[in-house]
Amino acid sequence: MPKGVVGLRPAEQRQKVSRIALGWLPPLAAVVLCGLAALSTLAAASAPTGAVAEPTAAAVAAPAHELILCASINRSYVIGSKMVTLSGLYRRVADGSFEHFGPNLLHLSAASLDPRDHQMIYLAMLNGALFSRNGGERFRIATSWDMTEPKDIAVDPNAPDTVYLALPDGFAVSTDRGWTWSRRERGLPDRGKYTQAIEIDRTRAGRLLIGCEAGVFLTENSGTRWRRVLPTRATVYDVRQSPTNPAWWIASTQRDGVHVSRDSGVTWSRITDLAEDGAWYNVDFGTRQRDWVALSSWNQGIVVSEDGGRTWIPRNTGLPADGRVMRVAIDPDTDALYVSVRSEDVYRSEDFGRTWTETGLKGSTVSQFLFVKKPQP
Amino acid sequence: MTLFSRRFCSRVGGFALGLLLCGFTGLRAQPSHVGPMPSTLPVSSAEERRVAYEARIEEVLEWYTGLVKPSDPLIGDLVGVSARLALGRDLERCSRSVIELMKTPGNSPFWMFPAAGVAYLGRDRLSPEARAAIRRAWSSVMQLRGDTENHWAMYYASLYLMAQLYPNEPASSWYTGKSSEENLAEARDYLIHWMRLATTVGQGEFTCSHYIGEYAIPLTYLAAWAEDPAMRQRARMMLDWIFADQFANSLDGMLHGANARTDDTSVIERWNSLSSFFSWLLLGNTPPPAAYGGFGVYFAAVARHYELPEVIYRIGVDRSGDFTQRDLKRSRRRWRGSDVEMAPIYKLNYSRRDYAVGSYQGGISDPIQAHVWDVTWAVPDPRGVHNTIFSMHPVSSMDDLQMYFAEFPEQMMRSVTTEGKASYDSPDKFLGASRYEQVLQDQDTIIALYNIAPGTRFPHINGFFSKDLVDLTEDASGWIFARGGNAFLAYRPLAPYELQRSFVYRSSWTGTKQDAGDRRLYSPHLKNGTIVQAASASEFPSFLAFQAAIRALPLTFSLEPVPTVSFTSLRGRKLEFTYGRVPVVNGRPVDYSAWKLFEGPYLNAERGSQKLTLTHGRLERVLDFNTLTITDRIKNP
Repeated sequence: MPKGVVGLRPAEQRQKVSRIALGWLPPLAAVVLCGLAALSTLAAASAPTGAVAEPTAAAVAAPAHELILCASINRSYVIGSKMVTLSGLYRRVADGSFEHFGPNLLHLSAASLDPRDHQMIYLAMLNGALFSRNGGERFRIATSWDMTEPKDIAVDPNAPDTVYLALPDGFAVSTDRGWTWSRRERGLPDRGKYTQAIEIDRTRAGRLLIGCEAGVFLTENSGTRWRRVLPTRATVYDVRQSPTNPAWWIASTQRDGVHVSRDSGVTWSRITDLAEDGAWYNVDFGTRQRDWVALSSWNQGIVVSEDGGRTWIPRNTGLPADGRVMRVAIDPDTDALYVSVRSEDVYRSEDFGRTWTETGLKGSTVSQFLFVKKPQP
Repeated sequence: MTLFSRRFCSRVGGFALGLLLCGFTGLRAQPSHVGPMPSTLPVSSAEERRVAYEARIEEVLEWYTGLVKPSDPLIGDLVGVSARLALGRDLERCSRSVIELMKTPGNSPFWMFPAAGVAYLGRDRLSPEARAAIRRAWSSVMQLRGDTENHWAMYYASLYLMAQLYPNEPASSWYTGKSSEENLAEARDYLIHWMRLATTVGQGEFTCSHYIGEYAIPLTYLAAWAEDPAMRQRARMMLDWIFADQFANSLDGMLHGANARTDDTSVIERWNSLSSFFSWLLLGNTPPPAAYGGFGVYFAAVARHYELPEVIYRIGVDRSGDFTQRDLKRSRRRWRGSDVEMAPIYKLNYSRRDYAVGSYQGGISDPIQAHVWDVTWAVPDPRGVHNTIFSMHPVSSMDDLQMYFAEFPEQMMRSVTTEGKASYDSPDKFLGASRYEQVLQDQDTIIALYNIAPGTRFPHINGFFSKDLVDLTEDASGWIFARGGNAFLAYRPLAPYELQRSFVYRSSWTGTKQDAGDRRLYSPHLKNGTIVQAASASEFPSFLAFQAAIRALPLTFSLEPVPTVSFTSLRGRKLEFTYGRVPVVNGRPVDYSAWKLFEGPYLNAERGSQKLTLTHGRLERVLDFNTLTITDRIKNP
């Protein structure tokens, strides 16, 4: 464990109610717990403290989360050429390396697991939305020809039979665990609804934000009606809610900078220290280190903040020169930082980007790091 | 290695097959590919045409069969298996080979359709074990649906046929996780949706030099093997539809004019494309490309199930008179960066015996491989001839890519050049369309205007000047004159330029280039334009007379604030065209809103009608998708 990496305070552990973890509870209890978590964190919403938490025995002893990757190892593959590499779902194993599971899937954008049953896996990939009932051994292409190339998929932690799907031409919902899908696009623009990212507000049932070509859109009724809360001049690549402060959101864009909200995504302001044209692919928040934030970027590589977004620092030393960082994630158990450098490898840092180590997933490009709360014994 | 054999190798059989096929392509002569130029004259006798058609089918199948030695224990690819099954030959080895091949199935439509074809060709010929191996392959490997219309045509036609071949089987036995009935229903729904789209607002991937095969082959499979008579009929009608469209845009079998998608080779050597394979097989008026265009064998294997209607044959081969054909098409689907999901494409084709002029109105119909306009001239033998002239703005743009691809464009910009589109980021390419180009065509006159935004990656235009042009003269008047075959050509650059050495792409995969003797008109000016006027040599007593006539034509133009031209064509028509405005011909604005789905002497259809009337002389065929009827009649009997 590197110096300075610490655990959670008891209060923060209460706040750390991930959307995955919530699913293990009965729905009503989950909603109540979400509400409590929201109340407990709202006070700190506008000013992350930067306080260093004390380690807890549980946090140090065993990771509470499984790490799953959606990864492509693609050597100039185009539709029709022979696939000679193994792409799709990978999971982290005990020695820190990654092993493949499930079918060999290229063009996999995102995955989401039913928090009640991790055998139930949903995927967004070229062919549409897929689901598996047996841990990824076999999948069903759940959507038909009229929905294609989804970019993101998310099980609603507040109602796990409901699954949301981000489409290049809009947004769709399944309320029966992926069997049937319908579009919910009222309030989205006819053009400009290319949807790249979904983030569910874990504290309020039916509330989610999506990142689209025309900006960030908010619904408070599971997509029945949308309103734009952040207009942008370029596609929103990611929207994320802090795991420790439900009012704190960040949206990253292709070339309209990075935006922050301190009021649960209702109002937004640009982070002026960050370049507009970064192609900011995704954002992740620290869980134990509640002020840590990391951004991945085509032009900037990896950029981090250790003070709740007040200042930002590039942390690319040790990564491949001219490395294009496609994805970043902060391990909620250890604070380790993971980045995917396009067609190079997944790199891990134990000191928040000051030094980097290859994990051995050579040639990979990761479209999603998914930390999944392990079932409690 | 030719583009098509390379593409074919890569897609269908991988590198090993590539070496095999390409090696044999060089070693083993293809009779018609290297033989004498076929006659371009129409063959009147239906029986003669049929006999010749059967002989060509036989030639393809025999050639592919001969690629594998009798002593080889296995046939290494589905190509060879398809050819043998079609000939009913070597069946035991076919079965053994299929069992081996199915151990490592492919994962895309480019594997699905050959595999489905083998499944049907081998229904009564392959061993039970081989058929079981095929069936297992459709259970185990996730097939990618792809992201283009041709991918989907192949994917769903193949899925349809396989689901039909194995009915009542559970979801667990298919890679889709859906039952046979679910697969069949989804495939059927999409195919009908696509046909409805194509027959109401136009084809998306229209008059493609290569991708014609990706439609024709699965449609032929459906026409041959669909059990539902309605689907069989739809497929037959769509085959007629696309072949009629393709052949109306051909000159002695060579596809010319605008293409939704072509490639670096075909765009300058217009004959060298899979499209010419279909012309050779169905019309018999041009040689086939190397390796029969790669995919040719898959069509040949079922070609006996299809007979080109005489009216389409006549449309394809008759170039005795001038004609103008106007067609409505549509762009590829736009995900973002556009006010419309699919932009209308107004396509024009003016054909004469000696040359043809084709275009659409400019803009981006496809982000990488579109071709907007050209003048292509007839030649006695098209093999190796670069018989075309055009200009274009070379584009390399993230905005264009992300308009059409649901991917991160930043990485696409890097990957696209290693994924079969090697020229994409090259300033000297001749392939592609630009949002900064607008085109007016009137008969055999083209005006192309460019208003390239400052900061655009390649701030220049390229004009293609073939090695096969004769008597090229840079005239003091500002016109460039040249002869191409029996066509006289006048090319007027509107901004300063220089003629540079040009290199042709020998491979769209490796980016290998070669100096073939062509030249590139390089004009590094954002506001720019080209006027081309063509004429037949027979219209003038001499080339000098043609030049004098061109010099005498009224022409005024300016480039600021936007390019604008007023030109009276050789045909006496006054053309006024300003970038960003509706062009005006003889004082009347061009009314694109009145553009029909097809309008001309040969193909006619109203927008939204799903009904195409094909006419040649007294022959008429009506394809009516509303009633699923084909009606043939002889007019004025």
